[in-house]
Amino acid sequence: MLKKFQQEYATKNVQFILTDFEGTILESDQAFLAIKSNSHLIDIHPFFECFISIKDTLEDEIVFNCVHIVVDNNEYVTDIQFSKKDVGFLVVISDYTSHYIAYQAIAQTRNESIINGELITIKNAELEERERFKNLFIRNFSHELRNPLTSIISITKIISSTSLTSEQENMIQFLQESNANLKLLLEDILSISMISSGRLKLSENVFSLSQLFELITFTYNTKTASKGLSFEINIDKKAPDYVEGDRLRLYQVLTNLLDNALKYTNEGKITLNITFNQKRANKVNMRFEVLDSGIGISKDNFETIFESFTQLKTATENPGSGLGLSIVKGLLDLMNSEIKISSSIGEGSNFYFDISLKQPLQTSTKPILNTNKKSTKKSSKRKTDKKYRILLAEDDINVQTVLFKLLLNTGYFYIDLVNDGALVMEKLINDDYDLILMDINLPNVMGDEVTRLIRDFPFKNIKKIPIIGLTGYSFEDDFAGFKKAGMNAVIAKPFDDQDLIGLIFKHL
Amino acid sequence: MQLSKKIVVLGHFGVGKTSLIRRFVENSFSDNYKVSIGVHITKKVVEFEVEDTMSLILWDLEGTDEIKTIRDAYLLGTHGVVFVFDVTRPSTFQSLNTDLEIIKSKLPTTPLFVVGNKVDLVVVSELETLFKENNIKTNFLTSAKTGDTVNDMFFELAKLIK
Ligand SMILES: Nc1nc2c(ncn2[C@@H]2O[C@H](COP(=O)(O)OP(=O)(O)OP(=O)(O)O)[C@@H](O)[C@H]2O)c(=O)[nH]1
Ligand SMILES: [Mg+2]
Repeated sequence: MLKKFQQEYATKNVQFILTDFEGTILESDQAFLAIKSNSHLIDIHPFFECFISIKDTLEDEIVFNCVHIVVDNNEYVTDIQFSKKDVGFLVVISDYTSHYIAYQAIAQTRNESIINGELITIKNAELEERERFKNLFIRNFSHELRNPLTSIISITKIISSTSLTSEQENMIQFLQESNANLKLLLEDILSISMISSGRLKLSENVFSLSQLFELITFTYNTKTASKGLSFEINIDKKAPDYVEGDRLRLYQVLTNLLDNALKYTNEGKITLNITFNQKRANKVNMRFEVLDSGIGISKDNFETIFESFTQLKTATENPGSGLGLSIVKGLLDLMNSEIKISSSIGEGSNFYFDISLKQPLQTSTKPILNTNKKSTKKSSKRKTDKKYRILLAEDDINVQTVLFKLLLNTGYFYIDLVNDGALVMEKLINDDYDLILMDINLPNVMGDEVTRLIRDFPFKNIKKIPIIGLTGYSFEDDFAGFKKAGMNAVIAKPFDDQDLIGLIFKHL
Repeated sequence: MQLSKKIVVLGHFGVGKTSLIRRFVENSFSDNYKVSIGVHITKKVVEFEVEDTMSLILWDLEGTDEIKTIRDAYLLGTHGVVFVFDVTRPSTFQSLNTDLEIIKSKLPTTPLFVVGNKVDLVVVSELETLFKENNIKTNFLTSAKTGDTVNDMFFELAKLIK
C-alpha cells in the first residue's frame, strides 16, 4: 500500500506559477506545463478566467479539485490552488491525472449501473401499467357488452319462433349464430383477462364431487344429444365424494374441455373419465380425462392450441373464441396442475390433467357451505340504480313475448331467456342473476324440480336466488307445493302486469 | 477586453449536462455516456449583434446524487446557473424544488434556468401532467440529441446576464 502512495507521490507533477495581482505571469517552473513569463494566466486555459473574480475576493487561499485542463493538446486532471502573496498570487497546479482516471472508472461503473437499474424499473412499471390498463379495459368493455347482448339474444330467440318467411328465417338463424359466438367470445375474454391480470383468486371450499358430476352429466347429455352424439361419464369408485377446492373453476375447466370436444366432434361420443391416482396425507390426486371421437389434433399444434386467440384452421366453421383451452391452461396453472394432450388426426383427442384436491377432515358431516363473494356484491348492487338481471325460464313463446315487452318497458331489467329446464343450472353457474321467473311446465325438467336443485346447490349466491313461479295451475294446493320446492312466490297465468312487477320488486 | 461570463451547468448524473454543452459548443452529440468527474471548462463566444459579443465560460460539473455536496469553489464568481434534469428519470427531478432551494442559498442573486433534457424520448404533452404532479416549473425543455432548444436556452441566459 505504502509503495503505491510513494509511487504516486514520486510521479506526481506539481507546477508552481507566480503572477502579479493582475494575473500576468512573473515566474513559472516547467514541471509539466510549458508556460512563458509575461503571458497571462487566462491564456493557459479558460479555467483561469475565474482569476477575475479571485483577484478581487481572495483573502488567503482557495483550492479547485479535479479540474480538467488541456494544454498543448495534452489533457490533465489537476488540483489547482491559489494563494495570495505579497507580490501577487502563487498558483500551484498538481497533476493527479492517473489518480482521477482510476476514480472516473469507478464512477462510470457506479453511475451506469444506477441508471440502468432506474430505467429497468421504469420500463417494468410501464409494462405493468399497460398490461393493467389493457385488462381493465377489456374487462369493463366486455361487461358493458354483456347485458345488451343478453337482450338481443333473447329477442332474437322470440322472433325466431314467430311465423317468418324462409328468407327471414335464414337471416334469423345467422343472427342467432352470430349472437351465440359473440356471447362465448365475451365470456372467454373476461375469463382470460381475469386470469392474466392475476385477479382471479381460487376459493377453497368443501364441495361434493358427485353433485358436480351429476350437473355435468345433466348438461352434457342434453348438449351432446342435440348434436346427435352420446355422452359417457366414468367415475372411479375410489374417488372421494367431498373435496376442498374451487368448485366453480374446476367446473369451468371441465366444461371448457367438454365444449371443446363437442365443437370438434361430429359423430360418435364424448367421454369424461375420472380416475383415482393416489392419496397422500389429506390430499387426493385424481386424473380427469376428456375423450372425443372428433377430428383430432396434429402434434405440431399441441403447443399453440393453448395460446390465446389461436384457433385451428379447421375450426373456422365452428363457433367459439378459441380461448377455451387457454382458459383451461390458465386455470389449471392456478391449481398447480397442467393440461396434457394425446391425439392424432382423425382419431379423436384426449385431454387430461392430474390434480390434487384437499380432502376435508370430517367428510361425514355436512359440508361447509360455500360463501361466495358475489352475493355481497350483488346486494350492494341493488341499492344503486343499476338494472337487474332476470332469468326467464319459459318455453311458451306468447308468454315470452308478453314478459319481454312488459319487463323491458319498465327499463329496470335485463332479461335472459332459457326455454329448457335442463339448461337453467348452466345459466346460473355461468352468469349472475338477481331473480328467476320460472315456468313450472318446462321441457325436460320441470320448474319445481329445477327449483329444488337450485336450493340444494352449495353456492350461496345461486342457492339463495329469488325464484318466482309462473304457473297455469290455479289451485292453492299446487302453489303450496311449489313454495315447498323452494320458490319464493308463485303467480298464476294470466297475471296482471302490475302484480307481477310488484312481486318482482318485493323479492329483489 | 471582451465581456466574459461564467455559467455553471449542474444536476444529477447522466442528465445530459456534458451533451448540452457539446451540442452548444461543437454542435455534435454522442450516445455514449462518459461520466464526468470534477469539472470541465469550455469557452464559447456568442454574438448578439455585429461587434456585440460575449464569452461564455461554461463549467460542466460532475453529476451529483445530492446538490449540497457540490464543491463551493466551483461556484465562485458564477453569473448564471443551468440546472439540468432528465425528463425520463424521475430520480433526477423528484427533489427538484429542494435542490433549487440549495442552489439559491449558495447563489442567492444569480439567474437560474431549470432545464428538462432528453425531450426527444418522451411525448411532451404527457410531461405537462408529470410536471404538474411533481410541482415542477421549467424554463426550457431541450434535447441535446436533436439539438432542440439548446442554443436558444444558452442564448437566452447569455442575454439575461449581459
Ligand atoms: N436521447 C437523448 N439522450 C441524451 C440526451 N442528452 C444526453 N443524452 C445521453 O445521456 C447520457 C448522459 O449524457 P451526459 O451528457 O454524459 O450526461 P451528464 O449530465 O454530463 O452526466 P454526468 O457527467 O455523469 O453528470 C449519454 O448517453 C447521452 O448520450 C438527449 O437530449 N436525448
Ligand atoms: Mg457530464
